[in-house]
Amino acid sequence: MKPVKFSTFLFTMLVGLIFQLYPWSSSGIIIHPDFLLVIMIYWILQAPYHCNIGWVWFAGLLVDLSTGSLLGQHALTFAITAFLGLIYQRRLVLFNRWQLYLYVLFLFGVQRLLILLLKLFAGGEIPDWTYGLPVLSDLILWQFMIIWFGELTRPKKL
Amino acid sequence: MLKGIHQQLDPQESPAFFIQGPKPFSRLMFFCALSLVMMAVDARFDYLGQVRQWFSTALHPLEVVASAPNEWARNIHTYFTSHNQLIQDNFKLKQQALIDHAALQRLATVDAENAHLRTLLAGDAPIIPQATLGEVMHMGRDPFSNIITLNRGSHHHITPGQAVVDEQGVVGQITRVYPFTSEVTLITDKKLSIPIQIERNQLRAIAFGEGKRNTLDIPYLPTSVDIKVGDKLVTSGIDGVYPAGLAVAVVTQIKQSQDSPFAKIISRPIAGVNNHKHVLILQVPDSPAINPSSESRAVLPRNNAQHLDQSVVDVLQKNNAAVDPHPVTETPVLEGTNPDNAASPITPENTPTPAAPEHP
Repeated sequence: MKPVKFSTFLFTMLVGLIFQLYPWSSSGIIIHPDFLLVIMIYWILQAPYHCNIGWVWFAGLLVDLSTGSLLGQHALTFAITAFLGLIYQRRLVLFNRWQLYLYVLFLFGVQRLLILLLKLFAGGEIPDWTYGLPVLSDLILWQFMIIWFGELTRPKKL
Repeated sequence: MLKGIHQQLDPQESPAFFIQGPKPFSRLMFFCALSLVMMAVDARFDYLGQVRQWFSTALHPLEVVASAPNEWARNIHTYFTSHNQLIQDNFKLKQQALIDHAALQRLATVDAENAHLRTLLAGDAPIIPQATLGEVMHMGRDPFSNIITLNRGSHHHITPGQAVVDEQGVVGQITRVYPFTSEVTLITDKKLSIPIQIERNQLRAIAFGEGKRNTLDIPYLPTSVDIKVGDKLVTSGIDGVYPAGLAVAVVTQIKQSQDSPFAKIISRPIAGVNNHKHVLILQVPDSPAINPSSESRAVLPRNNAQHLDQSVVDVLQKNNAAVDPHPVTETPVLEGTNPDNAASPITPENTPTPAAPEHP
């Protein structure tokens, strides 16, 4: 399989940002996935030679700016999540589909949890259970990414 | 041997740490530190406001692209709205206009009367705020804060702190302004409080938002306070941000617990805080205009009363001009009466206002 073009990576990032900026209605906001997070996690596992922690951090910063939340909040959680993905990147590409789902689900959950922690430190209140729902829609989006850009590429047998 | 193998690999297959420059962990540490610093700076200082503005301006085209499908859908929906529906709406609106006209006719009279009575009490002239119409672009993307975004920004002379109302009552306050958009924090947000007054008995209090429950809380009122379920809360106007008398909320629940000296009073916002399309952004009344008069009133009540008297005469004339088909035009006569007023203390009998219409 050919290496992914850098322009493809940038383009998906742009599309993710546009979806992030899409005006979600109040019911949609409960289930809307973190587009940029899913896209960046996909690329950091699929193409670590293009996407590094810095890019993921930058994507988080864009999310911060678009949500108007405290600058650096999403960036921090995105960077930590990306790190957790990256340290196991060599192993993850060898996982089968279900193992990968489980790990990715864990990553998305970690990101949500970190955001929740940061918000609680800032004096937020504990949201109800629907707060966890976007993790599932993240997973659906992850599946779409797999369909569009292919399964994670395993290294060839030497 | 090992080196040779690695040279054969194409880039995507070489281990991440060979082409990544710094190790992931040091990268992570660097970016964590950076974001922590940014968060601290953003929370404590104002330096990043400008950065935010630039980014927001840069993101604006993307935002337009992102909201385009919604816009199209709405336009298509409007296009196919049935003829019948339009006729019905038109009929309803005409009826409403008739009712409003009747009320407006009375309003002019009542305004004049109010202005007159305020003069007698040496009060300030009523503040009639200017307003800008804004359209709600989207709800906030952050589930933790109750924020809506409007399509008016600093290019339309919106400033932070302006009150936002809809046709039923107070919606919130502008908290952040971008060049083309602005963020409104709803009154139900935890960070926002609003000075209110109970319409029935004029009791003043402050209502705080309760966050995700979409209610308002009025803390620090004793259990014996005279509040009933169903009482309407209106703005008291003492903050100088919200004009007095705008509807805010209706009391829905009063809880009294044994171990607290305060009652727990829950109220529900009257304005469709979560479901409106158009809102009005009110200008903040000029505080410098209010402060000097209140200061001078404290020191020299007489002078101030005369000063106000002239201003109220102007207001009255304006109102008369609006209401009367034959407006009063001789201001020189009124100015001539002013020195008399300056010499003699103001009493209801020698205010020039009743005399004004009698000079043809």
